Amino acid sequence: MSHGRGIIGSVLLAHKTKDETFEGGTLLDKLLLDQIMGQVTKPVRYMGNEYNMVEKDISEFSIRFAFAFPDVYEVGMSHLGMKILYHLINERSDAYCERVFAPWVDMEEKMREAGIPLFSLETKTPVSQFDFVGFTLQYEMSYTNILNMLDLAGIPLLAKDREEEDPFILVGGPCAYNAEPLADFVDLVALGEGEELIGELLDLYRGWKQSGHSRRVFLEKAAKIPGVYVPGFYDITYLEDGQVASVQPNNESAPKRVAKRIVRDMDQVFYPDRMIVPFMDIVHDRIMLELFRGCTRGCRFCQAGMIYRPIRERNMDKLLELAERLVKSTGYEEISLSSLSSSDYSQLEDLVKQLMKRFEHNRVALSLPSLRLDSFEKEFIEEMQKVRKTGLTFAPEAGTQRMRDVINKGVTEEDLVSTVSNAFASGWNGIKLYFMIGLPTETEEDLQGITDMARLVKDCYYQIEKEKRQKGLKITVSTSSFVPKPFTPFQWVPQDTMEQLREKQQLLRGALRIKNVVYNWQDPEVSYLEAVFARGDRRLGNVLLSAWKNGARFDGWSEHFNMDAWMKAFEENNLAPEFYAHRRREKDEVLPWDHIDTGVTKAFLWNQWQMALKGETTPDCRMDCAGCGITRLGEGLC
Amino acid sequence: MRILVEYTREERVKYISHLDLMRCMQRGIRRAGIPIAFSKGFNPHPVMAFASALPVGVTSEGEYMDIELSQPMSLPVFKELLNHALPKGITVREAVVTDEKTPSLMSLIQRADYEVTAEKIDWRKACAAYAYTSEIWVDKKGKKGITTINLKEGVEDIRIDEENPALLHLSMKVGSKGSVKPELVINEILKLSGQTPNPEDLSAFRLSIHRTGLYLFQEGEWITPMALKKD
Repeated sequence: MSHGRGIIGSVLLAHKTKDETFEGGTLLDKLLLDQIMGQVTKPVRYMGNEYNMVEKDISEFSIRFAFAFPDVYEVGMSHLGMKILYHLINERSDAYCERVFAPWVDMEEKMREAGIPLFSLETKTPVSQFDFVGFTLQYEMSYTNILNMLDLAGIPLLAKDREEEDPFILVGGPCAYNAEPLADFVDLVALGEGEELIGELLDLYRGWKQSGHSRRVFLEKAAKIPGVYVPGFYDITYLEDGQVASVQPNNESAPKRVAKRIVRDMDQVFYPDRMIVPFMDIVHDRIMLELFRGCTRGCRFCQAGMIYRPIRERNMDKLLELAERLVKSTGYEEISLSSLSSSDYSQLEDLVKQLMKRFEHNRVALSLPSLRLDSFEKEFIEEMQKVRKTGLTFAPEAGTQRMRDVINKGVTEEDLVSTVSNAFASGWNGIKLYFMIGLPTETEEDLQGITDMARLVKDCYYQIEKEKRQKGLKITVSTSSFVPKPFTPFQWVPQDTMEQLREKQQLLRGALRIKNVVYNWQDPEVSYLEAVFARGDRRLGNVLLSAWKNGARFDGWSEHFNMDAWMKAFEENNLAPEFYAHRRREKDEVLPWDHIDTGVTKAFLWNQWQMALKGETTPDCRMDCAGCGITRLGEGLC
Repeated sequence: MRILVEYTREERVKYISHLDLMRCMQRGIRRAGIPIAFSKGFNPHPVMAFASALPVGVTSEGEYMDIELSQPMSLPVFKELLNHALPKGITVREAVVTDEKTPSLMSLIQRADYEVTAEKIDWRKACAAYAYTSEIWVDKKGKKGITTINLKEGVEDIRIDEENPALLHLSMKVGSKGSVKPELVINEILKLSGQTPNPEDLSAFRLSIHRTGLYLFQEGEWITPMALKKD
């Protein structure tokens, strides 16, 4: 298969006679689609027509925007960013945003057999006919799905092969801050929060479409919009050892560094007052109420904590009003208070009480997906329990105080003891504990600390009088393998090798053989690849392409993950994955993402890394400004 | 107050499962602000029950659900509020009040009628093959694994439309043990009559199955659940 039109392009031609045409182009053979939907698992994934789905009249002037999530429906529909941008774009009368998800493997097979290209859920329009296809990059292991979706759409995979009638491929989301491994495949990268940027981009497009100018002209103009990064306008040179030597713009429109966009006022910015209510059971099937953006904790491993700075809260009255409208418009029975560290919301207690008061009568439950140990009070637990019991999850992240100081996770053993004791006293009997292994400077003692904490939680349970505690204690300990991420203080750090990680898991498997304790772990292969692509450069584009051709897709799904396809791809392109995952970077090394500005300076990150090595902590930045540099992106940001 | 609701499931929502449908109805009722009663106990849930599940991919103009209200409500208002709050493609046709003592719909329904249309299928051949075969044993996948059943025992009636030879009327028996999916019958009679679908050509048959209604047998005649209306 060439890099060009792919399989679908040619198959489509064969079916052309069956297609109906309309103003916007060619429609799918819906009867044929109907036949294959009858033969696949969960056809509801491809049906659309959910409550609150936006339906619009389409004219030849409409800007067609396909919001593409490179995973299956039930994963993609759980994503808050998509809900926001979908309804935001659809506020415009001149644009229609539709949704596209990766078809599951059985559907993909049927689509290829029948010559049905990738289509949008709303109008079942082939994706190749859209003006924009915007992929959200939530995790590295979805990249092969992007290539697969472009191929299924019949859109040329490489940006340089796209012509005037092809859509612009846009990416955004957390992984877009280092989109270098995808640089060859995308036309535009949106950095930072999309709410304002997307409007400016669509305005520009409307004018450009009427002007009849070339694609290049549009990209040049787009590159001038703050937050828009056009990878094709930058040349990368490499040193002999493979490190990046330089990143230089090759087009006058392209800035030397591209800074992310920031929404300044969370009360003014658009937030949907309705959300699509899926028919099928999706991963997060509830109202998501976003309390704030950013996080002040400064955990050193956490990319979200760095790239989403600064902290910006929504006013409580605004949140209550949104909650009220969302409950009415969706009929959902649960509201999740979604933010990076929701319990840090300054008026959390008040907010929870108010929400309880308003919704108790119609049985709407509240859940906090991200709890920190130190802010979880007994009263609070009881308040939430009034409606429904939801699971309790805590993430101490590391087993010893020393290790937690290194990663700047400001949680102590006392915090854990008081919180779980309160939870057990309030009738909980199941607790989940999350840890990372392979953190920088980790020793056997730190691993032992994980076991100690599990035992400590168990002791807390048995401290409660027998009559007062709920029977059937279950402590679930999960460890994930640490992946160093760009734009964090650990961006210079080598990841543990897979052998090291497996040894550590082995050790924990033995040590955690404790009654009432269950240990969960995952093989480090996926984490290894994540580490490669998280800090990858442009040369990895070829690896991605090879891996996809070798059959890699749905790499985040263990049943489809295929390590051989990946290892072969590295070999085929003469690139060593260890170079990316296991190499210690030096202070003065040019990092492949240095031309992207998240606001937080490299000097701050380096300083944090040095402090980590000494076990020195940095206070919450609400207490004391650590000078991360975010205020450079605008006065009065925090 | 117990209400029996007759509703449709149209083409645009035909791929939702029975479980999806129940969730969808619950949320629709919440959006509509209908005062549904909740069960007692540790984990209260809305009091509602459905008649025979509609197979995925099948449309219907005769679906039924029973719901219990915590306070009385006028039927026209109920219907209007609910229709306004349901996704397009699910429409309430009628709502009636039934006696609180009426047994569950599930236990009452005994028959489900379908209309099947397809291209390039000779229904006469298929029906003839069906008529000449005394027993048709097939494997049925259920919750407890695979069981072998005689299809003929699950079919109440099968006949070709008098005016439209492309239309097949299929009546299936519905019992406490569930029912046989119409698709299974179609597949088998196609096989019997030598019209096995060619898997290479997906578009060959363009099969479409539509449920026209559910029925119960009372006092010597078939009636629709709507006849359970309290006088």
